[in-house]
Amino acid sequence: MTAAPTVVKPGTTPAESYRLTGELPMVDQAAVPFIEIETVRAREFIPAAKEAFSAMIVEQGQSKVIRPTFNWAGRNSLFPLHWGLACCAIEFAAAFSARFDAERFGIVPRSSPRQCDLMIVNGTVTWKVAHKLITLYEQMPEPKWVIAMGNCATGGGPFRTAYSVVPGVDKLVPVDIYIAGCPPRPEAMIDGILKLETLIRERKE
Amino acid sequence: MQPDDLAKALAPRLGDRLLGVETFVGTAGRVRFRPEAALDLFRAVRDELGFRHLSMVGGIDWVDHREVFYVAWSDDARQYVILSADLPADSPHIESATPVWESANWHEREAWELLDIGFDHHPDLRHLLMPDGYAFHPLLRSFKLHEPEELEVKQRSV
Repeated sequence: MTAAPTVVKPGTTPAESYRLTGELPMVDQAAVPFIEIETVRAREFIPAAKEAFSAMIVEQGQSKVIRPTFNWAGRNSLFPLHWGLACCAIEFAAAFSARFDAERFGIVPRSSPRQCDLMIVNGTVTWKVAHKLITLYEQMPEPKWVIAMGNCATGGGPFRTAYSVVPGVDKLVPVDIYIAGCPPRPEAMIDGILKLETLIRERKE
Repeated sequence: MQPDDLAKALAPRLGDRLLGVETFVGTAGRVRFRPEAALDLFRAVRDELGFRHLSMVGGIDWVDHREVFYVAWSDDARQYVILSADLPADSPHIESATPVWESANWHEREAWELLDIGFDHHPDLRHLLMPDGYAFHPLLRSFKLHEPEELEVKQRSV
């Protein structure tokens, strides 16, 4: 089944067309291939859909279908586990409030590591809390990513030589994105998350 | 309450274990005592002088000896008093204040882990601020701050 082509009236994209004409981009009925819709029960339909989908996978190759699909789904619904350890947590909270509204990127902070695929470490990690951080990281299901937010999580910040502070959370868990700043502004945090989405988009395995 | 009042009240109880009472700005005075007089002094200060609240326990590493001090508060006099003792640097230890002031528990855990001051008969002398098994006493003068590059942290395989 091919998707119905969209008639692009005056502009070159649907959005531009809508802006110029004030009408929603309409589907050209003549271009839609005729499909005989058969009423089927769900229990018959699901195996049929599975079969069709696996046929498509075999046809197009697994890496061209499965991985981009998962990457697309993953990067558009990142669920961060928040580690509010210090003042970066205030900026983190501000990023999810009305002004910056990070939820428009599909990011929803969760409080349980088992529901998360992104750990945002915002704050100073001490040795006392280090093994708890590793435990929670290991409780997160694969695939998972880590963002080190702020100078403390990146490299210890002003406390990098202190006896009680881990000089960078990458000593404990693998980090994908580092966000500089003390603390970073919410825009910087959102920028880091968008960069992470680019990483996920290019993910091959 | 003045330092003279403290000295008058404590001298009969402690004798020569009381080393002196000094003026200390903002407090009733600073009592210097020998470490073996610890519990007697704490009981006298709490029960007879009315300093019922132990505000903090701290220590100083003077390299040749180590000082431990207690700050107690009296609601009646609205004053602090400082009790301080010098401990030998090679084996600094003193009797725990927990039988007299319950709140000494965590303060003494902190003083022990940061300054290596032993508190005898402490009910629960564990690490407080550092993880269990931390091998150093970081507020000692002999403790060297590390550079992060020198740290070899074994990265966990995931």
